[in-house]
Amino acid sequence: MNFKLWVRPFESLGKRDSMAIAGFWILLVAIYWIIATSGEKKLFPSPDQVWHGFVALYNEGLVVHIGSSLWLCLQATLISIVFSLLIAYAYPIPLLRPLSKTMSQLRYLPLTGITFYLTILVNNARTMQVWVLVIFMSLYFITSLMAVIKDIAQEEIDHARSLKCSRWEILWQVIIKGRADYVIDVLRQNLAITWMMLVTVESILIAAGGLGVLIKNSDKFMNHGRILALQIVILLVGLGIDLALTTIRKSVFRYSKFN
Amino acid sequence: MSYELKDIVLHVENLSVAYGDKVIIRNINFIERDVTRPNMTQGQTIAVLGRSGRGKSTLFRALTGLVKPSTGKVLIPDYTQPTKDGMQPAKIVEEGDVGFVDQKYTLFRHKTVSDAFMFALRNTDLSGKDKTEKVKLYLHEWGLEKVKDQYPNELSGGQRQRVAIIEQLLSSGHYMVLDEPFSGLDVGNIMNVRKSFDLIDEGHDLNTVIFSTHDIELACELADSIYIVGYPKKEDGTLDSIGTIVSHFDLKSMGIAWKSEFTTEHLDLVKEIKACMLAS
Repeated sequence: MNFKLWVRPFESLGKRDSMAIAGFWILLVAIYWIIATSGEKKLFPSPDQVWHGFVALYNEGLVVHIGSSLWLCLQATLISIVFSLLIAYAYPIPLLRPLSKTMSQLRYLPLTGITFYLTILVNNARTMQVWVLVIFMSLYFITSLMAVIKDIAQEEIDHARSLKCSRWEILWQVIIKGRADYVIDVLRQNLAITWMMLVTVESILIAAGGLGVLIKNSDKFMNHGRILALQIVILLVGLGIDLALTTIRKSVFRYSKFN
Repeated sequence: MSYELKDIVLHVENLSVAYGDKVIIRNINFIERDVTRPNMTQGQTIAVLGRSGRGKSTLFRALTGLVKPSTGKVLIPDYTQPTKDGMQPAKIVEEGDVGFVDQKYTLFRHKTVSDAFMFALRNTDLSGKDKTEKVKLYLHEWGLEKVKDQYPNELSGGQRQRVAIIEQLLSSGHYMVLDEPFSGLDVGNIMNVRKSFDLIDEGHDLNTVIFSTHDIELACELADSIYIVGYPKKEDGTLDSIGTIVSHFDLKSMGIAWKSEFTTEHLDLVKEIKACMLAS
């Protein structure tokens, strides 16, 4: 390993060096964590406290709570994807374009305003959780999907036209089929925001459980070890979803080479 | 070299194209006829040259029906109709009648080579079996058998060019417009495209390739007819700002078409074309 290369701007390193750098940072954080939490006054809970928090959470059914959060997320994602795709695919149709644009702009509307109307329309708390997430996700999905459609080069449209594609065929071939892999990537990017929203949304219905409920309860009792343990769990589950979606995209769509 | 001019294969009449209020090309008129040579199949190869921004791409979009002319029309023979008085009825070019290959060799990113060819044949009257056979034949003739199941991003530059050209040949029949097909290519890929031109030429007497390039030598080597698009001179001696055809060179009548080598006559023509382009 050539350590001089590690500090040279724009240097491309091999896999071994990259792994070593990652290991170095993990070690540094771990050492800092242990040192910073070894005294009497400490900003973070110690690794020991976090570990105990994690064991306690596991004994209280952490896996079930993760399952509950994932199920809520899956329900909301499926509804949101269908709704967002319909709105985004309507963008190339002049009559429906204002609808797509308006839906995208609605992402600036505060969630509080929307939940007010939802409480009038929905009387089941679990349904309420799902729909808050659906609305929140959809507005971002629509914006991202529209950006994908807008980025399609005129050459691709002309290519389809030169092959005698009707306008509906162009929509199907170039936008819907031709950008199917982008839908998964848009989902991957936006799911991170949704995953962060989970804590807020799950607090609507404590009885349904979920990671959000666990973190809220831990917060209430100032149990910092548990809070940090939960945050690590939420981060790891989120990263796992991210990895899974990237793997699905690359294995299902062999031609999808971006990222 | 002896040749004969037969029926009209392309008739551009008083063509103008404007985007909004801005007129890009105006008053474009030309006729190209089917060229036949004894004991061989000979298609037509037409080059369109001109300085940047003179309207070549707009002319190509009009020739392929991708943009509607403001005035005039582009006519090609309608081979679906029976001949009348020994003449083939003409039709106005519509989207898809004339194949179009852009300089990026755009393809469907989600279709393999075979799928793309089958898609190009989807509107033909051929049976499923005949379509498969035709695709196999093209894959073999154009050396693409090994990559038939690959996606565009898995193809080399040369393979991508061939796929883009065949796709259009299968879909549109005899006409093909290529916008700067040699732009940014290395010498090997230029040779590949040249070979593709030969294959198209030898494929059918009515096959007509229209291409643009900034390589005047290459145009003189490949084409049998060269049009220069430029700004015409106004009465006061200044240049107009709307493109049109300012000159035409018929290499057939000049006796320098289809030569296997670049001759001094070609060199003289290159000089003449350069002068013409600089003046327009």
